[in-house]
Amino acid sequence: MIRFSDFSRETIFLSRQPYVLIFLMIVLALSIFSVWSGIAETQAQQNTIESLLEKDNVDRAQALEKQSSYGSAAYYSFHLTYFPPSPLAFAAMGQRDIYPWKHRIRMLALEGQIYETDADNPELSFLGRFDFAFLISVLMPLFIILLLHDIRSSEREAGRFDLLIVTARNQHTLWTARALVLSIALMLVLLLPLFVGAAIMQASLSKTVLMALITLAHLLFWGAITITVGKLMAMRGQSSPRIASALLALWLTLAVIVPVVSDTAINKTVKSPNGGDLLLLQRETVNDAWDLPFSDTWDAFLSKHPDWAEHTQMESSFEWKWYYAFQQVGDQKTEDLSNAYRNAIAKKDTAAGVVAFFSPPMMTQRLMTSLADTDITASLGYEQRVRDFHQSLRYFYYPLLFNKSEFNLQVMDDLPRFLP
Amino acid sequence: MNATKQIMLDEWRYWQRTKLATTVIFIGVVLTLASVVVNTIEVRQAADERKHFQQVSESRFLEQPDRHPHRMVHYGHYVFRAPSPLSMIEPGVDAYTGTSIFLEGHRQNSATFADQRQSSGLTRFSSLSPAFLMQVLVPLLMILVGYACITREKEAGTLNIMLTQGVKKREVLTGKFLALVGSGLLVLLPLALASIWASVTGESIIVTTGFVVGYFLYILIWGAIVLWVSTFSSRKNTSFASLICLWIALCILIPRISSSTAASIVPSPGKLEADFAVLEELRKLGDGHNASDPAFNQLKANLLAKHNVNDIADLPVNFRGVVAEYSEEKLTKVLNQFAEIRMQEEVSQAEIARHFGWLSPTVSIRTFSMMMAGTNLETHHRFLREAEALRYEFIQSLNHVHQHKLDYHTDINRYRDDVVARVDAGNWNILSSFSFEPQPGMARLHQSLLYSLQLLFWCIVTLLLIKRASRRMEQ
Repeated sequence: MIRFSDFSRETIFLSRQPYVLIFLMIVLALSIFSVWSGIAETQAQQNTIESLLEKDNVDRAQALEKQSSYGSAAYYSFHLTYFPPSPLAFAAMGQRDIYPWKHRIRMLALEGQIYETDADNPELSFLGRFDFAFLISVLMPLFIILLLHDIRSSEREAGRFDLLIVTARNQHTLWTARALVLSIALMLVLLLPLFVGAAIMQASLSKTVLMALITLAHLLFWGAITITVGKLMAMRGQSSPRIASALLALWLTLAVIVPVVSDTAINKTVKSPNGGDLLLLQRETVNDAWDLPFSDTWDAFLSKHPDWAEHTQMESSFEWKWYYAFQQVGDQKTEDLSNAYRNAIAKKDTAAGVVAFFSPPMMTQRLMTSLADTDITASLGYEQRVRDFHQSLRYFYYPLLFNKSEFNLQVMDDLPRFLP
Repeated sequence: MNATKQIMLDEWRYWQRTKLATTVIFIGVVLTLASVVVNTIEVRQAADERKHFQQVSESRFLEQPDRHPHRMVHYGHYVFRAPSPLSMIEPGVDAYTGTSIFLEGHRQNSATFADQRQSSGLTRFSSLSPAFLMQVLVPLLMILVGYACITREKEAGTLNIMLTQGVKKREVLTGKFLALVGSGLLVLLPLALASIWASVTGESIIVTTGFVVGYFLYILIWGAIVLWVSTFSSRKNTSFASLICLWIALCILIPRISSSTAASIVPSPGKLEADFAVLEELRKLGDGHNASDPAFNQLKANLLAKHNVNDIADLPVNFRGVVAEYSEEKLTKVLNQFAEIRMQEEVSQAEIARHFGWLSPTVSIRTFSMMMAGTNLETHHRFLREAEALRYEFIQSLNHVHQHKLDYHTDINRYRDDVVARVDAGNWNILSSFSFEPQPGMARLHQSLLYSLQLLFWCIVTLLLIKRASRRMEQ
């Protein structure tokens, strides 16, 4: 059993080691930086959304004022959809810099609009963010390796090994206590900024605790590996650098090689429709409609909306109801390709989830982004909400267009609103 | 000189005996080779694919039947960006930017379909690109191979023996340095071969040479860092731990911190914010679809006066086409103004991140390598600008057709059943073909000047450090 006195002795011993203290201070500084930059970015996103919402309302009101028909009202009024960062997003920015979290759409064919991205600066995305999830998933293993790989071998090399073994009550407790004190100290400097950040962003306690538990689990994994490998290799008389080299090789395999090779394999095996095909097909179908007989558009449209079968007579060669009908038909025709495109993303994500079982750093990253709602699933969920909202716009306008209602600005007060 | 060579060869023999070093180097070479092969194939495929799409897009445009010219304005056109030859080594921002843009009237769309949006999300930290391996992994390999190159001799006492036997300190250090650099060069070899291949497939030779020289400098820098730490440390353990800490800081931490700092210091409002400002401006300009918009009264008056007629129906040109051309011109000015602001913001963000190159050679080589390979942010912006130029050109040509080839009377009655408001499909060949060419070699060399200076700065700093450490070694 490890006694309290073992702990206090080791704590005092380690607190007199300047290198250990400096190391821990640096890790604390890094953790603070990761949380600070995460919060700064999250708040910037929140502010952007707020100001966009304001401008969106003004803009739509101005656009609608000038209109005299529901058709042109639908054509000129855009709607802001957005995906606000979750309170925990500051800790794991995840895919938010690649997948859009804001979109302005209108009632035209959605497939022509949804792939527009208002993405972040690509050069910064390429460099990657230094968020808490990155600190824990990629860097923490390196810190543990540096701290724990030589607790035995360093004493041996410093010539204190035998002395320590003789004086210690039980040599097992000696190393365990030292490793525990180091791990707990590392854990504290890593997690303190997270908790402060979570308090500032008012994240839910349970999710924050889960985030801390993921950190703990990842720490335990690397701690256990480092100590075991360290013990085995030290018993064989291997030097500290050799032990660390072996551990680094393991880190390299788990954090770099496994994800990168799997990514290549996943991209080869999961077939995804080409974005270019999707683009061209969508444009052709929407534009061809102008030259096709009206009945072609109506037949395709009515297959999904039979309710309007009685309202398809045309009084002029251009009518808004027909215009929006062929926009919808455009979406219908690209539906398969578009679904396949999204399914491929989801499939790749699932496959990556399987790969993560072989790569604890990836697992940590995925769990954290999933807690923070910044993973691919969350982004696809947002896209689905945009699609649903677009659908609700159609359901709002179709009765007005097909029943030839007189334009009334007040009706526009009932326009569907996007709720994140 | 002979002593230097002897020391270098001894170091290599030592590596061979211990196996660790040879294993590490072997793994490094195999990884780079594999990534070069995989990436070369992928870039080739992407290049062919995009070329194909570009051709399809162009021929579709030309094949369109007779129709109203403004319909073609909305039919629009797609352009695809061809990857630069060196992107097989340094993919840079390419995976994060879209590679195709839809060009249509009255709008500037963003580039769509970035590869990263179609990926498993596993490659956010690392990627299989040869550039990543060279920038991040090769330093680690060199550390594992060489951390003890001097400390080992110190601990065993052989360093003193060598020095007393009359071997000069400079010779020892140079020998060890060359041995270390040699290991890095082995890993550089596949990359150099790929660069030669890029030259064969059309990349400028100045660029590929500069590119390889840049990576060579980077290997020199890391060789010097490893040697420096090994020289000033008294024990193997300290030299190892210090080098790993340095590696974490320089290769992993600072690049990430640079981007987080840039994002926090210069938050970019994004395209949507600009869209609102554009829309606001546009409302003042008037809607080009509506020739009776009061915003065009002045235009109308001027035109009537110019042709000395009283009614727009009597004008020799189609007034609706005139309005379309006029409003597209005004609108494009506004759009470009905002697009330029946004690109400027992105560049200044990126530049903050790039200045971290003075703190980490990894940031310097990364920027240098993107600049040389033509996979940098500015190249993406150039693509956006060229696409916009093409957009403006063909839209205005169509508006010109609208003005001169379509009668005003027919045009205003276009929705009546007995009227056919169309122009001949032969008019669609106003579209010029698009191909995105890499910038000339000299221009890219010029752009990467600052970052080659950063690399040289690192060479000098590390050499000075070694000099200082070697002076201390004497005492």
